[in-house]
This record gives sequence, structure tokens and C-alpha cells, in this order.
Amino acid sequence: MSENKILLNSVPVDEVKEAIEKIENAVTSRINATPDNADHGLAQLVLTLIELIRKLVEKQAIRRVEGGSLSEEEIERLGETLMKLENKMEELKKIFNLTDEDLNLNLGPLGDLM
Amino acid sequence: MEKIIYAIIANKGNPPQVNEIAQNIRGITGSNLYALNFENISVAVSDIPASKFIVSKELALDFARVIEELSQQSTLLPIRFGTVVKSDEIIIQLITDNYTPFLNNLAKVENKHEFGMKVIWDYDKCSEKIRAKVESEEYTISSFSSKSTIHTNYLLEKVKKHRLEDALLKHVEQLIEEITWHLTQINPEGKFKKMLSKSIILDGVFLIEKTKKDEFIRAIEALKLLHDDLNFLITGPWPPYSFVEIAIDKD
Amino acid sequence: MKENVIDQSKDITILELLDRVLNKGVVITGDIVISVADIDLVYLGLKLILTSVETMQQRRLTIIKPNQPKQ
Repeated sequence: MSENKILLNSVPVDEVKEAIEKIENAVTSRINATPDNADHGLAQLVLTLIELIRKLVEKQAIRRVEGGSLSEEEIERLGETLMKLENKMEELKKIFNLTDEDLNLNLGPLGDLM
Repeated sequence: MEKIIYAIIANKGNPPQVNEIAQNIRGITGSNLYALNFENISVAVSDIPASKFIVSKELALDFARVIEELSQQSTLLPIRFGTVVKSDEIIIQLITDNYTPFLNNLAKVENKHEFGMKVIWDYDKCSEKIRAKVESEEYTISSFSSKSTIHTNYLLEKVKKHRLEDALLKHVEQLIEEITWHLTQINPEGKFKKMLSKSIILDGVFLIEKTKKDEFIRAIEALKLLHDDLNFLITGPWPPYSFVEIAIDKD
Repeated sequence: MKENVIDQSKDITILELLDRVLNKGVVITGDIVISVADIDLVYLGLKLILTSVETMQQRRLTIIKPNQPKQ
């Protein structure tokens, strides 16, 4: 690229590093799919989807808790369910050796959903 | 021989001109581009043996290079990297079937560039006030339950977490309003993603008239002066990748 | 230290480019496209499931439109 594409950059050098890594994850996930790491890529994709749904469910549930329309028993059960879901997610992440970063994939044309 | 599609181009009733532009550009596999034409729209294409195509960083960057060269000489809509089809006929059919939407989208981006803006802050420092405010809100388990159990404690933490997220989001939305106000004279179309991460609080793209590039940079610099704690990364000019309004799913 | 900044500028530019070229632009999918990255097929499938989900996430995305010119 002959032209300089950076018009303004006031970000301190060390902070740029984190930003770069974050974007790099999202971008190169589409590049790295090979037959060898296809399993890993597929696990990553599936778990990202599950994590997205889990987060949305959590959000809706919390709104209801705050809203005051649930009985104490319902709240207790809700808390238990959410906790189990989150724990299960942590287990799966460990099994497939995936980090939180891995699960915030930029899902191609769907864009950043989380 | 398969075909890879680079861009949809406005030929303004002068296809030979686009033909010539295309033929002088080297494609990603070595053979030069050529143009397919249908009325006022041309498509930049090059031959590619399907076996040679892989999703690699090098090819993707080379693809971007082609788009850049094309966009310096024409109004275009970039095609996403990796769009390979069997024949020219399929491409012509795509244009015919989507002629008006393509034409409208081309009109929208004419004489404009895309600019990117990322706003980055030091989370620990800058969110302190917001975190303090959320913490100070009287919210305990008794706000929603009379029993303190593992589960209600868990919920309490989650409620607090979501309240913080909401507060941060609101803060970023206010920033967006401020940015929009600062850009009133330039009057761009813009899209923002909020809270990409703890530190990248805003990821925006703007479609701005080519002549207003310097004005845009100055507007952001002025904005930066008002926000000591925020850092801005402005990039561009780019071809209008983010302002394409067309997605085609064809069997 | 100066080299660092120049390298970073290059890195940033490359990432901005890759992000655009891989994730944006006109998207054409379907049988007519020879899929070389199988992961794209999975994206397509996800799209069907996630369309409604995306609506719930709408608050994550803000769009500003240019003002209409005054008459």
C-alpha cells in the first residue's frame, strides 16, 4: 500500500498491541481453517454460538429478576439454572482449550454479535 | 477456468473505459483482470483455477491491492474476498437480476470514501467513575429475594455486572451523539459498534465525501482535545466495504 | 522505539485491510459460488438461526444517517 492509511493515531504504543491482538483474532479466524485444525475451528464456531445464546438468555433472565415479576422460588431456580449453564460452558471451554477471546469470533458476514 | 469477482463498477455508459482500466491491473493469481458489462454496470473479474484458490493472508491482501487500484479509477462496490464462480454467464446473470439495487448502491457511494475510527480508552482509569456510581446504587439480594443462597448471590453478581454494562453502553452512546454532533457539517452516514472489548469502546465507519477528508480529520482532532482520556485511531481512505447494502444468496 | 511505531502502523493497516476484505463487501453465496472455505457453509447455516437473535442484539449496533438537505 503506497499510501499511508493511518490518518490519526493517538493511541499509546503499548495499548495498540492489545487492540491489534483483539482484531487479529477476529480476522484470522476465517483464514486459519485447514483440514488439520478443522475440528478445532468447528468447536470454536459451535461454542461461540452456544455462548452467544447463553449470554442472551442470561441477559433476559437478569432483566426479569430486576423487573420484580418473579416469585422467590422462580428466582432461586433461575439462579441455579444460570449457574449450571455457566459452569457447563467453562467445562466445555477447558475441554476444547478455548479462551473467551476465541469465542468472540467475528462470524464472517454476520459481524460481531457480542 | 473459474472466475474470481473483485468489484461491481459504475461504467457511466462507457464500458470500454472500464475494460481498459481492468486490463491494466494484475489479478491475484498473475493473470490480468477483465471486465464484464451489462448496461451501466461492469464487473471486474479475473481467471483463477479453483485449485489455486485458498483463503490465505497473502492472497487476501493482494485482493485488497486490486480493489484499491480499481477504486482509484472508478466508483465501485467491493466484493467479499473468496467469491469464485464457474463462468462469466453466471456473473452477467447476477448483474441482470440485481441491476437496480447495484446501481442505487453505486450512486450512494459515488465520490465518497470510507473512513474507520476506533476509540480506545484505559478501562481501569476511565470507567472508574461509572463503576463507582453503579456500586453506590443500593442493590442487594433483598432487592429481589428474602433468601441469601448460593444462587441468589450468583444472581446478585450478575445483576450488578449487567448494570455496569448498561451504564458503560449508555456512556458510549452519549459519546456517539457527541461525535455525530461534531460531524454535523460533514453529515456522513456512520455505523458504530459499541464496547468491542473493555478497551475498544467504539468501532465506527463513516462514508464521507472525498473532498471532506481533511475536514473530517480536523473534526476528530477537535473532539480529541475535549477528551483527554480517550484515544482515537482514524484510518482511511478506504473503498466503501462497509457501505455495501447487498447480499445475494443464489442457488 | 521508532521501529516499533512503524511496524505497528503496518500491522494496523494490514488488519484493517483483512477485516474489510474478509468480512465486508458484497456477499454472494449459494450454489453458484464454489466454496473453497467450508467454514463459509457453516456461516450460512448459522445465518438462518441467528437472524432473529441479531434483532435482540440490535442495541449493540447504532447507525446514523445523513440529515436530509434543507429545502
